[in-house]
Amino acid sequence: MPCNDSISRRTMIRRLAIGASGTLLLSIFPKLSFGKEDAPGASQTPAKKRPLYAYAVDTSRCIGCCACMRACRAENDVPEGRFRTWVERYRVRANGEALVDVAAQDNFVFTEPPAEDIVKAFFVPKLCNHCEKSVCSQVCPVGASYESPEGVVLVDQKRCIGCGYCVQACPYGTRFIHPETHTAGKCTLCYHRITRGELPACVLACPKGARMFGDLHDPLSHLSVFMKQRRYRVLKPEMGTHPKCYYIDLDLEVV
Amino acid sequence: MTKQNDDMKVRPDYRHAYPVLVILFVLVTAGLTVRRLLVPKSFGEYGYFRADAMDDEKAIQPRHVGRAACVECHEDIAAIHAKDVHASVECETCHGVGGKHVKDNDVPMARADAKNDCLVCHRQLDARPGSFPQVDWQKHYQFVGVNDPTTACVRCHSGHEPLYLDHDLRTARLHPLIQQCNSCHMGRTDETLKKPDTHPKIFQCDYCHADLAKSFAQGSHTKVSCTTCHLFIKETAFSGRIVRNTNPKFCLLCHRKEAFKGNAGGKESGPPTIEWPAHIKDVSKDALDPNRPCVNCHQDQIHALYTKEAHHAM
Repeated sequence: MPCNDSISRRTMIRRLAIGASGTLLLSIFPKLSFGKEDAPGASQTPAKKRPLYAYAVDTSRCIGCCACMRACRAENDVPEGRFRTWVERYRVRANGEALVDVAAQDNFVFTEPPAEDIVKAFFVPKLCNHCEKSVCSQVCPVGASYESPEGVVLVDQKRCIGCGYCVQACPYGTRFIHPETHTAGKCTLCYHRITRGELPACVLACPKGARMFGDLHDPLSHLSVFMKQRRYRVLKPEMGTHPKCYYIDLDLEVV
Repeated sequence: MTKQNDDMKVRPDYRHAYPVLVILFVLVTAGLTVRRLLVPKSFGEYGYFRADAMDDEKAIQPRHVGRAACVECHEDIAAIHAKDVHASVECETCHGVGGKHVKDNDVPMARADAKNDCLVCHRQLDARPGSFPQVDWQKHYQFVGVNDPTTACVRCHSGHEPLYLDHDLRTARLHPLIQQCNSCHMGRTDETLKKPDTHPKIFQCDYCHADLAKSFAQGSHTKVSCTTCHLFIKETAFSGRIVRNTNPKFCLLCHRKEAFKGNAGGKESGPPTIEWPAHIKDVSKDALDPNRPCVNCHQDQIHALYTKEAHHAM
């Protein structure tokens, strides 16, 4: 069949351009895309601002008793050999060599007596940093890893396919694949507790108050006041993850 | 040919496009249906995730109950615990998770009275902050004269009020007063911090040892301060003994009839002096041990003996 009514190249390019710009316009239309919006009821009650939870660790107070690790395990059913939080021990020798270890067995108790050639030693509790720009959420292919509106990085256990991308992506090594459920596991800041107005189990268990938790949107919260008074830094700021876990008295040895 | 051309100009033939349109329609419909089936209901409510997942997380029941729940039944222990340095330690840090015990009181909590339970925090470690009380238990047992290595810490130190020793001080021979301000006040921002006037005068001996101070004031040594005789021997930065000091040589530093520093020997303004060791023979015909403590006879000239009852009444 002869086809004499072919359009010119110019016309075709023009039509394609119009079509492409139309598609682009549609895609930025907010209702069609998954944007970060507040809850539908949030605008109706402006008096109560949504909290922004954050965490602080005063390493100078940590005595390395690992009560936090035991409490976390008891509260969250963390599997054997995996950790949602852990306490690292840094010991620096006179020649500058740094030894880093974790009491991973025997109820998480450090037992070695002090060694003579150690010139500097301290404990650093670690946990999920609940980053503002969390890498783990960005790489999740199924949208199972996410940041809740309160700033807590969580895992949707029903959607996670256990691919382990997030475990690889986290610069702080805070994630693991649960050996039984085969889904990603991580610190939830005890989301079930904090949404009931209670403290995370590790903060509750810490006998020296080395771990602090609070709402950054509340200027009178324990954490907000603390951060106005103390000097702090975050782990691996060069990663651009904007962590919400602030460390006080951190040594350069700590990574 | 011309007729065909005329027809095409009047009505273009689009029949070839119909199957394509139908296939497109079916594909789009099927795609939308599959998307509706696959994408969870609450997906995208707050972001690129299922909003209901947060409810799943919230539905988990907390297991730690917090000390407020413990206080409901164990008010007596909580009152003691709140006064002492372990006040910053949650009940569940030592005794384990309380969720089950609160629901069913027959489920026991951990006793946490073994030596190793205390050593979890107080074992001497190089990475532990120097301001935190820690102990090399073998050295400590040797220092306080405990021979049985299986002895639990709680035999002397009560877990709920560690600053006050369970034992008579003269038996335990450890004075609790070697704490720094932040040992008690760590992390506390309550009213007591703002009222130093109401703080216990723990550095004045008579604040705790009122009965001794009272009898001491009636004796003859009133010009002598407590710490002149009761020296403190430091074990660590945090513990040590207040020495009872019954060595006769110590008493003789002041009371011997021989020149010793300012004591020119029997001056009227100075303390009464004696001849030594003749004094022992004077008071007793039997040859007494010259190392026998002076206080065995002269106790009432100093102060009344310390009694266990008096300590517990404090």
